[in-house]
Amino acid sequence: MRLSTIVVPAALVLVAAPAFAQVDFTGEWAPAYHEDAPERIPGPELGDYMGLPINDAARLRADSYDADRISVVTEYECRPHSADYGMRGLGDLRVTREINPITQELVAFHTYMPAWGSVRTIWMDGRPHPPEWAEHTWQGFSTGVWDGNTLVITTTHLKANYYRRNGIESSDKRTVTEYWTRHRDYLTVVTHVVDPVLLTEPLVRSQNWTLDPGQKTQRMFCEYQPEVPGAPGAVPNHLPGTNPFLHEVADWYGLPYEATRGGAKTIYPEYKLTMPKPEKQPPAKCERFCVCTVLQDCQLHAAPPR
Amino acid sequence: MSARKPSPYFRLLVPCCLLLLAALLPAQPPGPPQPPRTAKAAAPVDFTGYWVSPVMEDWRWRMVTPLKGDFASIPINRAGYDLGMQWDPAKDEAAGLQCKAYGAPAIMRIPGRVHITWQDENTLKIETDAGTQTRIFHFNSKAPPDEPATWQGYSEANWERPVRGEGDPRNDVPPIFSTRTGLRGKSLEVVTTHLRPGYLRKNGVPYSENTMLEEFYDYRTAPDGTPWFTVTTVVHDARYLNVPFITSTDFKKEADGSRWHPTPCEVR
Repeated sequence: MRLSTIVVPAALVLVAAPAFAQVDFTGEWAPAYHEDAPERIPGPELGDYMGLPINDAARLRADSYDADRISVVTEYECRPHSADYGMRGLGDLRVTREINPITQELVAFHTYMPAWGSVRTIWMDGRPHPPEWAEHTWQGFSTGVWDGNTLVITTTHLKANYYRRNGIESSDKRTVTEYWTRHRDYLTVVTHVVDPVLLTEPLVRSQNWTLDPGQKTQRMFCEYQPEVPGAPGAVPNHLPGTNPFLHEVADWYGLPYEATRGGAKTIYPEYKLTMPKPEKQPPAKCERFCVCTVLQDCQLHAAPPR
Repeated sequence: MSARKPSPYFRLLVPCCLLLLAALLPAQPPGPPQPPRTAKAAAPVDFTGYWVSPVMEDWRWRMVTPLKGDFASIPINRAGYDLGMQWDPAKDEAAGLQCKAYGAPAIMRIPGRVHITWQDENTLKIETDAGTQTRIFHFNSKAPPDEPATWQGYSEANWERPVRGEGDPRNDVPPIFSTRTGLRGKSLEVVTTHLRPGYLRKNGVPYSENTMLEEFYDYRTAPDGTPWFTVTTVVHDARYLNVPFITSTDFKKEADGSRWHPTPCEVR
C-alpha cells in the first residue's frame, strides 16, 4: 500500500471540518408542556390573568372578552398564533436553515409550527429591520445574532395577538427578544416581550423542547364557518362590570380573587406577604385538569392509567 | 535514466501536509507547565450577586400551595400519582419534614431570591431566602462514595465545554478550516445526585432517592441592560415520572440584598 493512499485521505478528513459550525437548531422539536399545561393545551380559564404584568387597559379589555367571540366573529376564527405566543402555545416545532451555496454563510433559520401553519424566518445575514410604517404580520420581522452559544433574536412588526388565549391581548407595538440555547437534545427559548401599550414591565417566559427525530409535523386546516348564531357584525362582549365569569378561577382553585387579576406587583415573591386570603373556602382537592401534560391526558377529569 | 514523474496524489499530499504542520506546530517553544485554571478564573460569565425570580409562569402552582391532587404539567406516572394523593402536610410537619418541597429539584422554582457567591476558587454557592437553603456546586470534583443523601444532594458543576478546540471564534484561520461562531460555551452545567426524597411541588408530588437532576444555567443581558439568567432544570426519576420533567426558570439581577427575606421551610 502506498503511503499516499493513507495520508491523503487522512489529511482531507482532518481539514474537512464541518463546512458550517454554528450551534445547530435544525430538526424536529417536541414541546415539553411541563409549565402551565392546562393554559397552553386545552386553554386558560376565563379571568385567569395570574403572573402577567398587565396594565389596567389590558385587564379591562380582557374583562370584556366573551369566549363566543371566536365562534361568532369569522375574523377571529383561524386566527394564527404570533411569533411570540406560538412559542408558548401549541408548539410542535421544526427548524431548518438556509445556507448561501456560494459563500456558505448562514442566511436564515426557518421555523414551522403546525398550529395555524405558522411559518417564520429569522434572518441571520445582518439585514436591517424595515421602517416602522412597514407591514405588520403574525410572525413579524426577525433578525438573529450570536451571543456565545445563544442565538439572540429580535422581532418587530408583529400584529396584535395573545399573551393568553382568554382575552389578554398583546399590542402591535411590542418588541420581542428571544434567547435560544441548546443543551444536548434540549432546546430552551426565553421570550422577553416589551409592550408599551399593555404591559407595565417585560413579560419574560421560557419554554422547552426535546429533539424528536420521529416527530412528523402536520399540515393544519382551519375553515371559517358560523359555529354559534350571531347577528351580522355582532362582537360578543361583556360591558364593564357585567362579566359574570371572572370569579370562577379563584373559586375553583382556592385563590384570592385579587391575585387572579394579575399585574406586576403580584409576580414578585414579596406579594406573598400581602396576598389576601381566598374569599371562598378552597375545595378539598383538585377537580379540574388535575393531570395534564400532553393533549391526550389533558381532560377535565383524568388520572394516569394504572 | 529519466526522473520519475510525481503522482497526482503526491502533488496533493505535500501542500496538505505543510498546511497541517503549519496549523499544528506551536508558534513558540512551550514554556513551563501552567497550573490548571480554577473554575472561578475560567468563568465565562459572572453569576454572583442577588437575583429574584419574577413568577410569570406556573403562578398558581408556585405562589400558593396547590390543591391536593393538582398535578397538572408534571409527567407523573401512576405510582407518583398514588403517592401524591397521600400527601398530608400535618404529618410532614409533625415529622419535621417541612423542607421536603425545598430540595434541589424544586428549590429554583420556589418564589424567592437567590444569592450566588464563590465559596472558594472551585466552589460556587447558591443560597435561597425561601426555605433558607444552601446549594454547593463543586467544580473538578466527584461525589465521595459515602456522601449522605440530603435535600440539596451533591452537585458536580462545570462550565460548558465547547464542541471542539477552545471554542473561541477563530476568524484568523485559512478558509479551508471552518470558523466556530456560536460555539463559545458559556453555560454552567450542574448534575446533582445523592438526594433525599422530596416533593417537586408543595402539594406532595414525589421524587425518589434515585433522582438525578440536570441543570443548565444561561446568562444573558436584556435589551434594557439588566442581567438575567435562566436555569433549565431536567429531573430524571423513573420511579415516579413517565418522562424527564423539564422546566426553565428566569432570574433577574438586583442591585443589592435589600430585599433578601429569609424564611423557614413551610409545608403549606
